[in-house]
Amino acid sequence: MSALVVAAAIVGGSAGAVIRFLVSHRLPVVRGHLPRGVLIVNVLGSAIGGALLGLVERTAVSSEWQYIVVSGVCGGLTTFSTWTVETIELVDGGRWRAAVLNVLVSLVLGFGVALGAYLLCR
Amino acid sequence: MAGMPPTPAKPVYRGPAKREVLAVAIGGLIGTGCRLAIDAALPHAGHAFPWSTFLINLLGALVLGWLVGGLWKVPGMPRWVRAGVGAGVLGSFTTFSAVMVSLVGMSTSGVIGETLVYLLLSVVLGLGAATLGLRLGTLEAHRRMPRGISDQGETL
Repeated sequence: MSALVVAAAIVGGSAGAVIRFLVSHRLPVVRGHLPRGVLIVNVLGSAIGGALLGLVERTAVSSEWQYIVVSGVCGGLTTFSTWTVETIELVDGGRWRAAVLNVLVSLVLGFGVALGAYLLCR
Repeated sequence: MAGMPPTPAKPVYRGPAKREVLAVAIGGLIGTGCRLAIDAALPHAGHAFPWSTFLINLLGALVLGWLVGGLWKVPGMPRWVRAGVGAGVLGSFTTFSAVMVSLVGMSTSGVIGETLVYLLLSVVLGLGAATLGLRLGTLEAHRRMPRGISDQGETL
């Protein structure tokens, strides 16, 4: 992996982080809703990641681009730490149902779109 | 116009301060760089257990929980610090998409047992790490007085 590709992935991760921050700033965690900001970016990033996995498999996209887009942009766009901490904060706030839903909806949608995009693109 | 009741101003969405966005961008460079370095140190095939992502996510959940439960509650903590370290560094250090991509890669290669183990361990230990971090952070925030201050009627 050339230095230029690694640098592009790091800058891509930073751009992804800014997009995630803007989305979750626009959609803050409020009662009556799951933490939508993180859910949206996590599902979007999973879809892009699955699509790239499929495109690389049929060599439509180089592994360098996969590294920049998946490890870089999608890695920065999506987050595991905020997802888990926000879930525990829902539990601490007595919102058990929302916490369980936040885990299940994220996993089902995230895996579903990643698998779907992979199967469509491969 | 006379006679018209004053209409209440609609709340206008104001985006985050430029300083916060800049802090997230810089934090994103650091977090992504650290993740890619650990990925390079612990490489794995597409269908193998992704140890690097697994360890990164647990560590990130623990540290973010600790910050959210503790340091973030310190009065006067600037918003740009929270944005830069929380959303920036730790947000981009950890990754949800890599978990999903690995689950797709593993499950379509037929290693279903390993796929389920990775999924369950990530979720259970990830939530556990976040809980532990939040509790440790809360203890930190509730520590009343610094040690080493004699109780001789002195004031801080």
